[in-house]
Amino acid sequence: MLFFRSEELVREWCEARGVAPNPCVRPRPALDPRDDVVRDAADARRRKRPSPAEMRGIFASIGLTGPFWDPEARG
Amino acid sequence: VTFETQVKLAVYGAFAEDGRAPSAQAIAVALGVSYEDVVAAFAKLRAERVLFLEPDGRTIRMAPPFSGVPTQHRVRIGAVEYFANCGWDALGIPAALRRPGTVLSRCEQSQEPLTLEIGEEGPAPSPWVFHSLVRASRWWDDLVFT
Repeated sequence: MLFFRSEELVREWCEARGVAPNPCVRPRPALDPRDDVVRDAADARRRKRPSPAEMRGIFASIGLTGPFWDPEARG
Repeated sequence: VTFETQVKLAVYGAFAEDGRAPSAQAIAVALGVSYEDVVAAFAKLRAERVLFLEPDGRTIRMAPPFSGVPTQHRVRIGAVEYFANCGWDALGIPAALRRPGTVLSRCEQSQEPLTLEIGEEGPAPSPWVFHSLVRASRWWDDLVFT
């Protein structure tokens, strides 16, 4: 995952490579350290691979839904 | 606490201390166990997708969110500079260490440098975004590319 200054620059970067842009994520909803989900994921004592259902829940909690963010989606 | 958990905590503790991936030998010495046992634990942690190893099966490439090799995504916390595996992981390092930090990276298109402060309440408001070419179901197919 790469940083971009704006979504317009994401589109330029993808166009130059002939690939379709995917949904962009902003840093703020992607990480709120006060969130239990983030705290648990960041805790080395608890760190394990979340189940697909847990991953869907994590993504949904920050507004990332749909097939692109579904860890079990085909294709 | 299982042996694999002890190894995992030792790995993460070493990353937290100086930002660098510990060797299997260093973990063996720290825990007072054999090198072979640590390598076996690394393999189990890889199978659980807790660690990502180099092809030699004994060198840590990633202990998410930490990277064992230099990357363009750096995080400065106190006097230590850490490398993250990707943009998202860069945000995760201050969370993992529970300390404020500064993410240093760049815009992949314009090459403009990024400096993003991460406080106790998360990242400062920012117009920057991050973007993935790989859908979530394929992240571990080629984790280095992801």
